[in-house]
Amino acid sequence: MPLIESLLNVLSVIVSSFSTLLLASLGLAIIFGMMGIINLAHGEFIMVGAYGAAIANQQGMPLAISMLVGGVLAGIVGLITERLVIQYLYDRPIDSMVATWGISIILTKIALVAFGPNFPGIGTPFGSVRYGGFSASIYRPVLAVAAISLLVVTYYLFMNTEFGLHARATIQDADTARSMGIDTTRVYAITFVFGSMLAGLAGSLFAPIATVSPTLGSSYIIEAFVTVIVGGANVLLGTPASSALLSLINGGGSQWGGTLLGRVLLLVAAILMIRIQPRGLSSYFINR
Amino acid sequence: MTDTDRRTSDPILETDGLTKRFGGLVAVDDVDFRLAPGELRCLIGPNGAGKSTFFKMLAGRHSPTEGTITFKGEDITDALPHERIRRGMSIKFQDVSVYPELTVTENLQIPLQRDRKRAPEQRVDELLGRISLREKRTVIADELSHGEQQWLEIAMAISLDPDLLLLDEPTAGMTIEETDETVNLIQSLTAEGMAVIVVEHDISFVRQIAEWITVLHNGEVFTEGTVEEIEADEDVQRIYLGEE
Amino acid sequence: MSRLSNSLRAFEGQHTIGNSRRFWIGFCLAVLLVLLFPFVAGVFSVIQMTVFLIWIFVALSLTLVWGYTGIFSFGQNAFFGVGGYLFAIVGGNLIEVTGATNVALLAAILAPALFAALLGYFMFYGRVSGVYVAIITLSVTLILELITSSTTGVTLGRVDLGGYNGINTVPNLTLGYGETAFSFGPVPMYYLVVVLLVALYLGLRYVLNGHTGYVLIAIREDEARTEMFGYDIRWLKLQAFTASAAIAGLGGALYTAWGNFISPPVMGILVAALPLIWVTVGGRQTLLGAILGAFVLQYLDTTLASSLNSDYAVIVLGIIFVVSILVLPNGVIPQIMTYLNDRATDDEHDEQNAQEAGSPTAIGGDEN
Repeated sequence: MPLIESLLNVLSVIVSSFSTLLLASLGLAIIFGMMGIINLAHGEFIMVGAYGAAIANQQGMPLAISMLVGGVLAGIVGLITERLVIQYLYDRPIDSMVATWGISIILTKIALVAFGPNFPGIGTPFGSVRYGGFSASIYRPVLAVAAISLLVVTYYLFMNTEFGLHARATIQDADTARSMGIDTTRVYAITFVFGSMLAGLAGSLFAPIATVSPTLGSSYIIEAFVTVIVGGANVLLGTPASSALLSLINGGGSQWGGTLLGRVLLLVAAILMIRIQPRGLSSYFINR
Repeated sequence: MTDTDRRTSDPILETDGLTKRFGGLVAVDDVDFRLAPGELRCLIGPNGAGKSTFFKMLAGRHSPTEGTITFKGEDITDALPHERIRRGMSIKFQDVSVYPELTVTENLQIPLQRDRKRAPEQRVDELLGRISLREKRTVIADELSHGEQQWLEIAMAISLDPDLLLLDEPTAGMTIEETDETVNLIQSLTAEGMAVIVVEHDISFVRQIAEWITVLHNGEVFTEGTVEEIEADEDVQRIYLGEE
Repeated sequence: MSRLSNSLRAFEGQHTIGNSRRFWIGFCLAVLLVLLFPFVAGVFSVIQMTVFLIWIFVALSLTLVWGYTGIFSFGQNAFFGVGGYLFAIVGGNLIEVTGATNVALLAAILAPALFAALLGYFMFYGRVSGVYVAIITLSVTLILELITSSTTGVTLGRVDLGGYNGINTVPNLTLGYGETAFSFGPVPMYYLVVVLLVALYLGLRYVLNGHTGYVLIAIREDEARTEMFGYDIRWLKLQAFTASAAIAGLGGALYTAWGNFISPPVMGILVAALPLIWVTVGGRQTLLGAILGAFVLQYLDTTLASSLNSDYAVIVLGIIFVVSILVLPNGVIPQIMTYLNDRATDDEHDEQNAQEAGSPTAIGGDEN
């Protein structure tokens, strides 16, 4: 394939990877950045979103609404999880990681039992574009736009609303926030639900290009996870930076040796980054 | 210990231009410090003077931005914490950190077992006697009073027979009686030839125990002197009352 | 008899459960029952039991590295898998040559240990700790799953790695040499696993109740403080990590020899969760908790799977797991032990009271 087409191909893969990583990790990053909780059921929240969107779409709802349905459904599952389990484990980060791993397994199997191993997905909208031997689905850049839009929405929520102010105060110093009258329990709960909804929306957005199945979550969880850790506690700058870095590596790797190599290189790079700077890329953005 | 003693004997601990910067903040600024073997030094200064950072650099928890640390004649500036301890340093940091779920005896076992498989009963007993916790040898450390936990930690620190003991606010949170006991304990240690540096805020404690005091302020050595000299020094009083 | 109790003392201590004659008698009875099992059960049950026991190796390795040392290694399945694959590859190649799998077994223990030593060095000497160790070890496990899944068509010597389907031409465990080499069929395999497991348990008891136990627990309780007593915690953690990998690797080899089969999913995210679930429910800071947790939950899983449906079984297990973290963070076995100890203390008090009440001289003193 001539040079331009190869380049377009690589670019397309990287952009696609970037939007996938950013979408998949945004909700997890908020929860981790806010509460230090590593929610290993995050992948399943994505799965719930995908199923929600697919079911709604199947019932005839327009695509955009179906996707919102997926988001809301995941938010509900997130709320239940937070109230039943997470809220008791805020000061036990490893136990919360382990407990959410258990929840992840439960949710996966419930989906399997309820819907079977396969589920009709959603057709990819918007068609595709061609250039010589290169062709790509228009949906991919749409995903990228969606990812960045959600990031912007998150930014707005945390920087320009009263809730966001309370949330940031709680992240900085929960005790002080509490002594100033902020209901930190409510802040945590709302943040967890918000993070779950973001996961659900990610799942909805992935539904047209992924196979909707109970194990959908497992294809995203570890990548989302390491993207969050490599990004660090600063969600607004660290997570996109990390998504960009890792998608470059993933994209390059995929181009060279297939999806598998891409995934392996991403994980290896993440491990190296964690070793070099455990606090993630965020620490380069924070001045001390 | 006279001034002459302090200056002529080879120091057990010496820092040369020791500096620590955190980004734009200078926590410790060009500190030259000398301690003679068996000397007791009090390190005082207002909050934020850099005392804890200085200690952490001695321990190896922070690496200096500039300067060197020499212990028993050897440069330990780049040595790892556990290497420094093995050379004969022992530290008790500010926050009490005994092993809360282990008993008093088990707590002592940990440092004592470092170089041997089993700690000798005698040694454990001797240490327990020193800190008056013989009757509480099977009590879980978490259930001790705050002062008793401090003592336990001091006992753990001295169980390794260090040549230099660093104590960061050992009497924080102690009652007056407990503080007096601690004075006795520390004086008995220096009587045995252990060099001790104590960081302290409690002025009555300092008065009872100090021979020579180093005052830190804004990361620098502000002044040094005997208790009387420091108490009479108006500049020292001023920095404590705050120049904010 | 007292010589026996003296030597038993080396296996007793505060760091493990069971320090009384009653315990050891119970223990011997349990082992006896386990040894007699093949005489009362059919071959299929014996085969089933064997794999339950094999997975206990992984549970014990996790208890050692996490429960006792405080290292959040979520990658024990990686070492299990490496051990299994190495046994399959080396065994598959050498069985025709030497007629035995001695070297394969050795390789299956050494390779994971070496791998752990390298990974451990990377992490601990790089001061990586806490949750980051969890992430790295979990990632490594999944990386290995990805790599082994992509080996379709790859052959190492005689052995086809089989990609996602794995290797299913693994020879039996065969120890010895040439004509006299002994191939472990189902029942001999069962007994070998039992013997190895008992040996491992006793060995761990001995080590953990001695000096090593103190050091590991000190690291778990307060790593920074322990370092300040002059312990090189990086080296000590590396040792614990490597030892646990060797144990898990041994489990992997036994597993692969047992089923004549090894495949990538043992290093997948679902299976990697299982040892965690077992030791968390059973009690991760005790050997007995790990053993009973692993055994009972596997048994429960199999029973539920056959009566309900294997997916429902997993859901039930998952729920038990989550509830257990919330309600019994130290696990079931320690909770039971506390209950039994409280009752024993109550019994002692009752006895004391009864004695004092019933004995006249105790109250009145010397009635002369």
